[in-house]
Amino acid sequence: MNMPDDSLLLDVKNLRVDLPTERGLLHAVRGIDFQVRRGEMLCLVGESGCGKSMTSLALMGLLPRKAQRSAEHIRFDGTDLHRLPEREMNALRGARIAMIFQEPMTSLNPSYTLGDQLCEALQAHRKVSASQARERAVYLLERAGVPQAADRLRQYPHQLSGGLRQRVMIAMALMCGPDLIIADEPTTALDVTIQAQILRLIRELQREFGTAVVFITHDLGVVARIADRVAVMYAGEIVETAPVAELFARPSHPYTRGLLSCIPVRGKTLPGSRLQAIPGVVPSLIGPVSGCAFANRCTEVREACTQTPPQVWVDAQHAVRCVAAQPSHLFSEAAA
Amino acid sequence: MLSYVFRRLLVGFSVMLTVAIVSFMLLHLSGDLATAIAGPESSAADVEKVRVQYGLDRPMAAQFADWLGAAVRLDFGRSFYFQNTVMELVGERLPVTLKLGGVALLLAVIVAIPLGVLAAIYRDSWVDRLSLLVAVVGQAMPNFWFALSLILVFAVGLKWLPVAGNTSWQHFILPAIALGYYAMPSLMRLTRAGMLDVLGSDYIRTARAKGLSPARVVFKHALRNAIIPVMALAAVELGFMLGGSVVIESVYSLQGLGQLAWDSISRNDYPVVQAVVLIIAVFYIGLTFVADVLNAALDPRMRTR
Amino acid sequence: MSSASLALPLPTIPAWRRGLRRSLGHRGLVIGSVILALIALAALFAPWLSPHDPYAQEVTQRLIPPAWYAKGSWEHLLGTDKLGRDYLSRLLYGARVSLFIGLATALISGLIGTTMGVLAGYYGGRVDAVVSYIVTTRLALPVVLVALATAALVGGSLKVVIVLLGLLLWDRFAIVTRSATQQLRDAEFIAAAKALGASTPYILLRELLPNLMSALTVVATLEMAHAILLEATLSFLGLGVQPPTPSWGLMVAEGKAYMFFQPWVIVIPGVVLAVLVLGINLVGDGLRDVTAPDGRN
Repeated sequence: MNMPDDSLLLDVKNLRVDLPTERGLLHAVRGIDFQVRRGEMLCLVGESGCGKSMTSLALMGLLPRKAQRSAEHIRFDGTDLHRLPEREMNALRGARIAMIFQEPMTSLNPSYTLGDQLCEALQAHRKVSASQARERAVYLLERAGVPQAADRLRQYPHQLSGGLRQRVMIAMALMCGPDLIIADEPTTALDVTIQAQILRLIRELQREFGTAVVFITHDLGVVARIADRVAVMYAGEIVETAPVAELFARPSHPYTRGLLSCIPVRGKTLPGSRLQAIPGVVPSLIGPVSGCAFANRCTEVREACTQTPPQVWVDAQHAVRCVAAQPSHLFSEAAA
Repeated sequence: MLSYVFRRLLVGFSVMLTVAIVSFMLLHLSGDLATAIAGPESSAADVEKVRVQYGLDRPMAAQFADWLGAAVRLDFGRSFYFQNTVMELVGERLPVTLKLGGVALLLAVIVAIPLGVLAAIYRDSWVDRLSLLVAVVGQAMPNFWFALSLILVFAVGLKWLPVAGNTSWQHFILPAIALGYYAMPSLMRLTRAGMLDVLGSDYIRTARAKGLSPARVVFKHALRNAIIPVMALAAVELGFMLGGSVVIESVYSLQGLGQLAWDSISRNDYPVVQAVVLIIAVFYIGLTFVADVLNAALDPRMRTR
Repeated sequence: MSSASLALPLPTIPAWRRGLRRSLGHRGLVIGSVILALIALAALFAPWLSPHDPYAQEVTQRLIPPAWYAKGSWEHLLGTDKLGRDYLSRLLYGARVSLFIGLATALISGLIGTTMGVLAGYYGGRVDAVVSYIVTTRLALPVVLVALATAALVGGSLKVVIVLLGLLLWDRFAIVTRSATQQLRDAEFIAAAKALGASTPYILLRELLPNLMSALTVVATLEMAHAILLEATLSFLGLGVQPPTPSWGLMVAEGKAYMFFQPWVIVIPGVVLAVLVLGINLVGDGLRDVTAPDGRN
């Protein structure tokens, strides 16, 4: 209803991920909806354990064997990934949807050269010669800011630093020219100075190649820097979705407001003043969960919060799951 | 890396020396050799004659020094029973045992590795359970009994293979199975454990995310990293097989080193026994050395500096 | 009003109960224990369960096949051997031999190996170097050959087998207790004991040893199985238990000459040997699984 269909690359509806554990069924992802347009950078932000990594794995079909995924649909450029047979899904992986992981130190096979691992990413999907693959690898390594790119092909992962390895991972993700890249906290494990460089790199490459990116992070600072749109996740649900400027200007969900108030803002936060924290803890997601998961910590909690909160449209591109939100009179929608 | 190799070599040599001492002392101290050689029927005078003849009246240390000095030159003296020198006898029999051990290890590995890989991929499935069952039952059977049963079933019952001797390659099949089956369970379990370990690692997740075919993920990426400890264990198991070949070779009359050792023990032919114990120990030490080096090479800190 | 489930305090279950529950859930452990228990009972009550005297020779009744064969009889349920002795009776008494040897050897080698391992792990340094060297040397010895050679010189017998195997099979005890001791050496309860002025023997025996028990029992079961198999091998080659004592390995040897026409003489003792060792191994593996730190299974 809110996005013109032809530019819609990824359309996820009611995605759920459940994990059987010793103590019961863990509902890691509890029915989330989100969309990504072509060439758009969507940041999925939330604290540890909110289900954002599970979401990324669910999209790629790389969940652990015991996990159960269900969805109304996961439409990628018209194809429903949720109902796609594994062989066809595997053909898409790496070719049209690529993924970058959090730990550059362990994400590359220590026994093979970088060139081998880069070229294999391309040759698994396209009929190209080894030299063509190498050409592309060198090109992408250079674009990713890896010095002496041609020599690197012969090197092994343990010979590179974390930051360089992550650049290699980025180049590897781009080998087949994917339409979508899912980046699961790619800068979290890096030094702060390198983080900034990698962020900038991802932003540039995304713009240059027109790739859509789902960027997962827990850091609102990162979101401010690179996002086009933001989806805030809490306890397995997406509680707020908005373009980035809109989210920071008019946060509508109590959790988002709480998050923003935790961060010191230059110019606004007075030195010596206390940073706010959100009281309470995330509820357990094992066993049935009813009503709003944020209710036990919310400043605006009320009677209606025992029911699943509806999706409220605060603005054309801005949705919130909260009964307290003020719907825009132009774009209100009935409960999901 | 080099210093590690050097240190291991040093330890290996000193262990060889110790083994030589131990086996020498074992034979010379656990009974009166002279009496044993001369035989239970002989008189005291005969025993004394034997004692002087074989130099058994000299101090132990001197006897050992002599023996060791010669052993280093591969001169283990002459057999008491045969006319040949010990080295000649060993030279005849060693290739048979090595062939047997090699084939036995090959068979064990051919079964163990694929089984272990499958058990890891299809963890907790019937394949996994079946392979663990095979492993646990395999390790319970005594090897001499298994060897005899194989003969009963395949040589006598089905008449597919010969019973004894070592002339053709068919003669090696049953003994190789009887010798190798005991190593199969531990190799399989190590493969399975290694694969499970590796399959859970981040770089495998990356390989899957690249859309590589499952076969390529397993064989190119996973197995390559999981296999090295298995190769190391295989080397050690070969060492055990060489030591344990006594029983199998006797049952199948293979005229290998193990059978030579056994016959010599029965005949009190001690120069041969001493030599064989030392030789087998040397092989074992060499193989464990290879295994250690393999495992060390795996450590990325040791590689390309 | 809050939706998610409240965390209720769980009643604490005593550790031994939890261990028992986990043990009962482990199929291998249960099966192995049942097998062991049955064989142990059979061995214990052998005198009452045996239909005949295992040493009684009856030359007219030689090599009668087991009852389910055509020529068999119910008089001798599992047939007779080449000297007319009842097979079932010999089997039951043979269980005594195997179990006795297994336990005795495990005890001796356990004592030797644990002492060496604990001292090496606790003191480290020179002591550790010496012990490690001895272990490496022992591992380089071909056990079967050395055992055979020694038994040939001294003369095979039940006692010799036990002493010999006890002196040869201590290596795994030493290795396991050494690494376990190394891990526990720096634990707080050891430091606390030292601070209280406890003497070293006290620390080793009363503080350290109880914590090694779970690892020790696992190794003990595995070495017991190892010893039983080795004794069977030695007896098979004639250098272990001597006739007329019934040993399963010996029974296979005695039957070897007749195996082509009377296969049961070697099949039966071999099968019971395999079953016993299987039971012991299942118990050992099961104990290892059950006592391993959670999260590894």
